[in-house]
Amino acid sequence: MRRFSILKLTLKVVLVFIILLFVVGPFVGIAIWSFARVWYWPSPIPQEFTLRYWSEVFRQGRVLDSLVLSLKIALLTVGFSIAIAIPAAYAFARYGLPAERILLFLFLMPQAFPQLPVFINLARIFGKMGLRGNMWGIVMAHTMASLVFSLWIITATFKSIPLELEQAAQNLGASRWRVFWTITFPLGIPGVIAGAIHVFLWSMGEFNAAFFIGAPFIQTAPVLMYTASAGYNMQIASVIAIVLMIPSLLFMFVIERFLKAEYIAGIGG
Amino acid sequence: MKRRRELFVGFLLILPALIVLGALYVYPLILSVYTSFTVEGKYGLANYAKAFDIYWRDIIYSVLISFITTVVTLIVSVVVSGYLRFKSWKFLELMYKLPLFIPFLIVGHAMRVFLAPHGTLNNLLTRILRIEELPGLSRSWIGLVWAFVWIMTPYATLIVLGAFRSLDSAYIEAAQNVGASKWKIVVDILIPMCRPSIMVAFILTFVRTISSLTIPIMVGPASPNMITVNMMFRVNYFNDWGTANALGVISYLIVMVFAIYYLRFMAAERGGIKA
Repeated sequence: MRRFSILKLTLKVVLVFIILLFVVGPFVGIAIWSFARVWYWPSPIPQEFTLRYWSEVFRQGRVLDSLVLSLKIALLTVGFSIAIAIPAAYAFARYGLPAERILLFLFLMPQAFPQLPVFINLARIFGKMGLRGNMWGIVMAHTMASLVFSLWIITATFKSIPLELEQAAQNLGASRWRVFWTITFPLGIPGVIAGAIHVFLWSMGEFNAAFFIGAPFIQTAPVLMYTASAGYNMQIASVIAIVLMIPSLLFMFVIERFLKAEYIAGIGG
Repeated sequence: MKRRRELFVGFLLILPALIVLGALYVYPLILSVYTSFTVEGKYGLANYAKAFDIYWRDIIYSVLISFITTVVTLIVSVVVSGYLRFKSWKFLELMYKLPLFIPFLIVGHAMRVFLAPHGTLNNLLTRILRIEELPGLSRSWIGLVWAFVWIMTPYATLIVLGAFRSLDSAYIEAAQNVGASKWKIVVDILIPMCRPSIMVAFILTFVRTISSLTIPIMVGPASPNMITVNMMFRVNYFNDWGTANALGVISYLIVMVFAIYYLRFMAAERGGIKA
């Protein structure tokens, strides 16, 4: 009996090790690289360590610039995306619009259909309008493609708020506008936050639109990371990768309870 | 009359969102189709002839890679979901979700470091197995599929596990009472009864794989390429929008073949289209 449980324990330890190797393994490599100064095969760890690349993130420099730019774009995108999504979500939840399913599905298209050709052509349109190499061009593209996250999540949240609460207020003479701001919106705030987080995470890590629309004048953090990695500047690339990963991992724990498969269908890209 | 006014207000409320989608998505989408059929201002199929001529191997390669990725992803997610349906294991629950929000580009970079000839994985394996050298998997089709499976599995599992968990336990208990093993229950009850959800996971994984640019440019081999990489090269190095858009439309068509198959399947399965 005892030997059997030891066998079981060993099996479990091996299984845990294999899962860790597969899932967490890729993070380990970039974590070590971000501190490496010299690292030649076959040493298992770098010969010399340095904090230089990490300090570059916090000092003035292109890494910091690109991160600040990405942050600005992500925050602006969240603002626009939420501002456009709230009225639309309210209409979808309360006005019984015709063809609701098809309309909602349309907003999923940018995430569930090949998006690269669309971004390439958008970059071309923006080029003619002088929006290429411009932060606002990227913000517009990100707002469009991230609408599905804010719109779907907020619509679902508004739908889950009991209609009776609104009717009660209306019976007491409150206007529809007032009912929205005193009842529906406050109750929907968790959904708005969940939507905002999804939009923020997606925008921070987005590459396709940022690369084609931002080129050649501005570089968001993912674009700089790509340039660094393609030029075998492993340390800079790894530092940016880790910085960009931290919010993703943090928020995953925060919004785990809001997770629904259909909302996240397009995250990444 | 009141109803009509209400519909009008509702329409006004969704109008900003529709304008954004129309101007920034639908218009470029139409432009991409239009551009693919024009060569120097004249209509024709020359872009497609060129695209097939240069990239016919890459088109087949993209479909194959996406298909292999999807099949492996589904096998992994069914195994994980099957396990978690019967047993709660917090560690596995956390592990399968971990890659969920990691941007694709970062996955590409991390996998490139992990799977390189002298990367983290080989560093470990050569020590455990006590051998000198192992071939690197990055810049090969195996590395490409590996990276795709890593990033696709979390949300495929989310869909499949969600379906497994919402299935009435009565079916499972009935099977257990007549002595069916857990493996048999997964294969004979859970998978057939959750086929619609598994199909959704299949389609979404396939579409996301074939439309991804970042992972193939980071871990894919130099040749053959995924068609997304070819689109990027056509635009960046040759300024050749016609061929790039022809490749884009080809990728739409590939995805649409799957989508139509899916809608047919759903229609047959449930007697109607239901998302």
